Amino acid sequence: MDVSSGYQVRLEAFEGPLDLLLFLIRKKKIDIHDIPIATITREYLEYLNHKEKINLDREAEFLLMASLLIYIKSQMLLPRESDLTEERDPRQMLVDRLLDYQKIKAASLILREKEEVELMRWHRTFRPPISKTEEIDLIEVSLFDLAESFFVLTKQKERENIQIIKGKEYSLEQKMKEILAILEENSFLDFLDYFKEQKTMVDAIVSFFSLLELIRARIVIAIQESLFHTIKVWLRKGSRSKGS
Amino acid sequence: MENRLKELIESLIFVSSEPLSTERIKIVLEEFSEEEIEQVLQKLVASYASDETGIEITRSAGSYLFSTKPEFDPWIRRLLRIERKNKLSSAALETLSAIAYDQPATLAEISALRGVDSTHTLKVLLQRKLIKIVGRKKSPGRPLIYRTTDKFLTYFGLNNIKELPTEEEISKILEEEKIER
Repeated sequence: MDVSSGYQVRLEAFEGPLDLLLFLIRKKKIDIHDIPIATITREYLEYLNHKEKINLDREAEFLLMASLLIYIKSQMLLPRESDLTEERDPRQMLVDRLLDYQKIKAASLILREKEEVELMRWHRTFRPPISKTEEIDLIEVSLFDLAESFFVLTKQKERENIQIIKGKEYSLEQKMKEILAILEENSFLDFLDYFKEQKTMVDAIVSFFSLLELIRARIVIAIQESLFHTIKVWLRKGSRSKGS
Repeated sequence: MENRLKELIESLIFVSSEPLSTERIKIVLEEFSEEEIEQVLQKLVASYASDETGIEITRSAGSYLFSTKPEFDPWIRRLLRIERKNKLSSAALETLSAIAYDQPATLAEISALRGVDSTHTLKVLLQRKLIKIVGRKKSPGRPLIYRTTDKFLTYFGLNNIKELPTEEEISKILEEEKIER
């Protein structure tokens, strides 16, 4: 690698070919509306040349841009019948793209500042054990979230060497009563912990179905803060009579 | 309670762990007029702006929530033993601003704007619920279309989509960059 240009910035540091081009334009103090295509193409290719191996997945877009630059350069070299001013500048499309990209890039820098301020604000994170009505839809877990957690958990269970003893009856109703009993005693149930306590795969599956059934019947609500986080289960207000 | 509406609303926001929307406050406080509530809400937010409190009420996506003031962050993290919170990657941030300004947008449109395939980044943003799928475009291939969510607004402390960085703010940034180099 040559170090003639003083310092080298690795290709990985750029979000993409447009980012790299903008960097080169700024570095060379070029007017974005009048890009010397020959210079910029040379500079651009130099960056690509520093790569010993081209990783196609990542660099395909950089190569595409290189071919676009060379294409534009060839268009500029072709003799024209009419005046250049009358015809569309072959660079125009690239300039438009660069300007659009530059705009969202700058906006993202402003958003970054806003993000940093917001991340410095702290909120109380406790969940009051009260039952809410309208608001609840915002934080209630969807069936897909539940199913996703379920598959993760079954995978964990699968890895344990389980022997199933035949002949035992599995009752959804019994499991639902068990969950409700726990909810009566404690204010909430950590479903992940509960799930892990289940002795067999079938027990685990039945407990999950019971939870789904209780949610469907609007006896309990389930809240998950983020994916793969634990699911907390609360009794809904006014459903207490059902459990006892 | 008539004359203590401000304190009353303050207590409602205090017990809410999720941002409390104006609509919800109005439903709960049915005995008060909507104008009255709106007025008092503004007063309430303003009353926390002074230097005399460590907490404030922030308004984002039309909802209210108590939060600590940003300047106390280092000590709060010390107390909670939290090194730092995870920021979004630059790719994610770039993709978000592309969607925010051009929504509703498809994967192809976003990728074209950035000059980079954005499949993975979109997936991450969907998972973090900063964007959502709002349907399919009526064009060949019927691609999915995306929009930013209320969580996006809250995440950046914006009240609505109109509070995104303006043309002027953006050109200011670009000018500053020119001078820097």
